[in-house]
Amino acid sequence: MVGILEFLKGYVRIKIWGVSPERFLNLCSNKNILLWDISKNGNEYTMCISLNAFRQLRPIARKTGVRAVILQRYGLPFFIPRLLKRKVFLVGLLLCVAFWIVSYRFIWDIRLDGNYQISQEVFQDFLAAQQVYVGMQKEDLDISALEKEIRRTFPEVTWTSAKLNGTRLEISIKENDAPIITEQPREEGGQDLVSEYSGIVTSMIVRSGVPMVKIGDTVEEGTLLVEGRVPIYNEDATIREYLYTTADADITVEHTLTYRDTLPTSYIQMTYTGRRESRFYLRVGSREFKLPQERPYLVYDTVIQGHTPAMFEKLSIPVSWGQYVYREYMNVEHEYTLQQAETLLTEKELQFLTSLEEKGVHIIEKDVKIEESSACWTMEGQILVEQLTGRLVPTTVENETSDNGEQNE
Amino acid sequence: MKKKQADGPSRREAIIDSLSLPKDVLLGAIKVTLTGSQEAWIENYKGILEYTECQILLQGKNCQVCFEGQRLCIEYYTNEDMKISGCIRCVRYQ
Repeated sequence: MVGILEFLKGYVRIKIWGVSPERFLNLCSNKNILLWDISKNGNEYTMCISLNAFRQLRPIARKTGVRAVILQRYGLPFFIPRLLKRKVFLVGLLLCVAFWIVSYRFIWDIRLDGNYQISQEVFQDFLAAQQVYVGMQKEDLDISALEKEIRRTFPEVTWTSAKLNGTRLEISIKENDAPIITEQPREEGGQDLVSEYSGIVTSMIVRSGVPMVKIGDTVEEGTLLVEGRVPIYNEDATIREYLYTTADADITVEHTLTYRDTLPTSYIQMTYTGRRESRFYLRVGSREFKLPQERPYLVYDTVIQGHTPAMFEKLSIPVSWGQYVYREYMNVEHEYTLQQAETLLTEKELQFLTSLEEKGVHIIEKDVKIEESSACWTMEGQILVEQLTGRLVPTTVENETSDNGEQNE
Repeated sequence: MKKKQADGPSRREAIIDSLSLPKDVLLGAIKVTLTGSQEAWIENYKGILEYTECQILLQGKNCQVCFEGQRLCIEYYTNEDMKISGCIRCVRYQ
């Protein structure tokens, strides 16, 4: 801190020699003149002294018979006149400062965080509709109004926060994790639960409705499992009326799934020839500048190696550069061996079984085989599974009457 | 009269001791603080009598203090205190 203050005020390194340098030092201290970095080289003493104090040295030096000369000048009072001589540098410095001050008034980057259901593109369109864009002035942005508009436009957003961090607008949102439950209109005639698969019923938990099957029954696809029409009996066991409800039950059915997957016997592999070309580019905002170029190779892929300086990234300045690298390759045809085909098909089967388990399907046993045909490898077989079933269908009054009659019989 | 002069300082010291007052302030004793053999802070001195690379002789109120060593340098020097750095080999009171 003292060093900074001395730099601001300016100081000099002096050399003294003469009759009584020690007395010179003592007189300086008596006059409250600070001396530092005092060292002796032969008969000479060198030391640092502030600029103001140096102006008071003449009587002391005369009194003690000491001569003092300046070796080096330090600090702002010496730096500024030297700086003023370099006019182009000064203009550049002022322009640079002006550029930062002006650019600080604008928004140069918009970041969105916490969006899962709302895609980036949808949100960008929304921001464009709200006149919020990269390059707008900060003072034109009403953050609280923007937050309100986000919540109003996207009902799934439960919380939102927008803030300006330097020249960056940071928008954080939180979406509702739970699905939005919309009140379904109640079916007047009630709803039945029918089977989605053909198989054997292995378990049943009925919460609403009349069960039409029992554990161990064999059901077909479309078989009525739980009826949404609940009869209300009179005291003489005759039906007085029907109460219509939506059938609700957890019914598991054991059934067989047919699994089939194929893999072509041959595949195309990209083989790079090693020839490559690169072109530099400069990107400013959404505009890109690069040298025009014809198609470099017949078949090639492109890799973009971009670079944004850390300072630009921190200040959200949308300027970056890099190079396009074009790599030539050839399409070479290969054939799968039995082992490769087995590995790939088994991996795909495993993915299928994992996806089934994620859906709550219990796999009891599987029997699959790999066979080679003329054009492809085929994996085929049966998988015995146990899974929840039940699809709601509206109960029709005409069918109910006939069904009821049959059941009564 | 001589007895009075001889007894004077001791009585004064006794009073300062009994009142637990700082001796460096009241007696004007030179105060030296050493950090290892590289740095020394000195207070209550009157001035520099001699300064070379190997020796710095300071005048106190009652005595002289001599710092001996190599590459001795005065980092700062004010009316209140000073700091000596370098390789201090010996501190001698004269």
